[in-house]
Amino acid sequence: MSIMQYNGSAIIAMTGKDCVAIASDKRFGIQLQTVAMDFQKIFEIGPHLFIGLSGLATDVQTVAQRIQFRKNLYELRENRKVKPDTLMSMVSNLLYERRFGPYFVEPVIAGLNEKTGKPFIASADLIGCSVILEDFAVAGTCTEQMYGMCESLWVPDMSPDALFECISQALMNAVDRDCVSGWGGVVHVIEKDKVTTRHLKARMD
Amino acid sequence: MEAAFGTRNFSNLNSSDSAISHQRWSPYAFNGGTILAVAGEDFAVIAADTRLSEGFAIHTRDYPKTYQLTDKTVLACAGFHGDVLTMTKVMDWRLKMYEHDHHKKMSSSAIAAMLSTMLYYKRFFPYYVYNIIGGLDENGKGCVYSYDPVGSYEREVFRAAGSAGAILQPLLDNQIGFKNQTGVTHVPLSLNKALELVKDVFISAAERDIYTGDSLIINVVTKDGVKVDRFPLRRD
Amino acid sequence: MFLTRSEYDRGVNTFSPEGRLFQVEYAIEAIKLGSTAIGIQTAEGVVLAVEKRVTSPLIEANSIEKIMEVDTHIGCAMSGLIADSRTMIDRARLEAQNHWFTYNERMSVESVTQAVSNLALAFGDDDADPGAMSRPFGVALLFAGVDEKGPQLFHMDPSGTFIQYDAKAIGSGSEGAQQALQDVYHKSMTLKEACKQALTILKQVMEEKLNETNVEMAVVTPEKMFQMFSKDELQDVIKEL
Repeated sequence: MSIMQYNGSAIIAMTGKDCVAIASDKRFGIQLQTVAMDFQKIFEIGPHLFIGLSGLATDVQTVAQRIQFRKNLYELRENRKVKPDTLMSMVSNLLYERRFGPYFVEPVIAGLNEKTGKPFIASADLIGCSVILEDFAVAGTCTEQMYGMCESLWVPDMSPDALFECISQALMNAVDRDCVSGWGGVVHVIEKDKVTTRHLKARMD
Repeated sequence: MEAAFGTRNFSNLNSSDSAISHQRWSPYAFNGGTILAVAGEDFAVIAADTRLSEGFAIHTRDYPKTYQLTDKTVLACAGFHGDVLTMTKVMDWRLKMYEHDHHKKMSSSAIAAMLSTMLYYKRFFPYYVYNIIGGLDENGKGCVYSYDPVGSYEREVFRAAGSAGAILQPLLDNQIGFKNQTGVTHVPLSLNKALELVKDVFISAAERDIYTGDSLIINVVTKDGVKVDRFPLRRD
Repeated sequence: MFLTRSEYDRGVNTFSPEGRLFQVEYAIEAIKLGSTAIGIQTAEGVVLAVEKRVTSPLIEANSIEKIMEVDTHIGCAMSGLIADSRTMIDRARLEAQNHWFTYNERMSVESVTQAVSNLALAFGDDDADPGAMSRPFGVALLFAGVDEKGPQLFHMDPSGTFIQYDAKAIGSGSEGAQQALQDVYHKSMTLKEACKQALTILKQVMEEKLNETNVEMAVVTPEKMFQMFSKDELQDVIKEL
């Protein structure tokens, strides 16, 4: 078994019309044993900017803290908020610094550009090879299932409500076919003037 | 000689101190392919893509992986094509012998039970084949039976398997099984909705799975027999 | 026939110049020494009834068993060399279970009879399948059962020939019993009527006086499948004769 599957995780980001959403499951397990059902995998980086980290739980927490650290340093040094694409470069850099002893995490970034309000989503592999996407990004232990759901459900220019329904259905039905992710979910829908966070009740088996 | 015994030697002829590497020959290959079956009230839909590949190579773009066994039963197979060929031949032979012995066509449930024993009899050198049977049962209702390669089987309403099985299954759970949907009325699946859904999920699978594509074969089983339909998929 | 006995009596698989297999014919004759057994098929189910020859008051009558269950939906009555029937019943049971194992459905009565007839024909062959003997079986069987075609009755003799019947009698009293069956049988017979008729005819052909210990009866119905009659149930039918 790969170390990427040790704790189990599922993360999706999706774009809509003037909005983006990012969702994750809440499980923290050790192989097949579930240990906690309220594990945080999505972290708020700015007012319209979130990052989800899938993979090895210990690295998820370490990388989240190091990103927070670098983001703070950036904001102090530059005296401005970090843009979504800048964050992607930062994370990419941070991961590539450990090219030969990597953090076992795959990041997914979702945010709105502060100036233009343009939706931004991106994902990378565990050594920081990043890609910016127009539709959706997935990471975790059930990527096949998530791809299947997203590929069929996603349509361009969804309203925030439609986007929430779409990403929730994609996440829940995907994790239900994966035994190491699920146990509840959380969805953040990011709009220009607000961020709505909803917690999903899901199958607990 | 060595190949005949199932091993090949890749040794460095120049060095006598011998860092000899042995590469074991495998009796199996994976030739991809995605299969799917959905049961309705009085029909069954059995679909498969027609791509046959190995690694990054495509052997053929036109090999239907569905096999009509009777006018009420269709079998879909994916996995190692060599085993698929042998298994379906044995299946045909067993079907004919049953008809001679018992003066009747095999029912879908009898075929389903027989396939399970056929697979289990090769428990320790299995057919590397993922099977799904779709058809009508003794009461004319749609039925689907799904298998693992060693014969564990179950009657279900819908099932996807093969290389993109994991991509298709959650959407079927959601759209046919109404999973994670609250406050919806569970209307019986119509043939039209089933066909639309099957096409949609295969288009999605062809987007993400390199072993799925080229075209889609759809078998529709009703009391009037089996109708076969074709539908193009992306070819890259 | 016994006058023409010759060298063709020796080998069980040798045809006589007239094209006969004497050993098989003798085996069929052997059935006529056996106790009488009757089977009647109705639309509601099939009944099997046999006489038991309790030749000594010291015999434990329940130890004589001439009707057996092959599967939940098939029963079998026999006449002739009962010891020979064990192998055949074993085969019938094996084939029925094997069919269920492979196809998850009940084996048809015809197919079970066919399977047993294959065994009946395998005599004399040195390397034939296990269970086959050096001589023909000396027993005739009545297979009664219910399958997808409904209630069915099959008769099989030592030559392996099997034929479906509406009503059939075998054994020593078979000639009289068969004539009696022909007279009383009609297509709309109820199962209750058939049970009564079976015992009435047995009573006529039996040497001893018929009672609940010297007959056996069983029915196979679509509802309750194979069911043996208990002594009390037998008594209830006998009372009405």
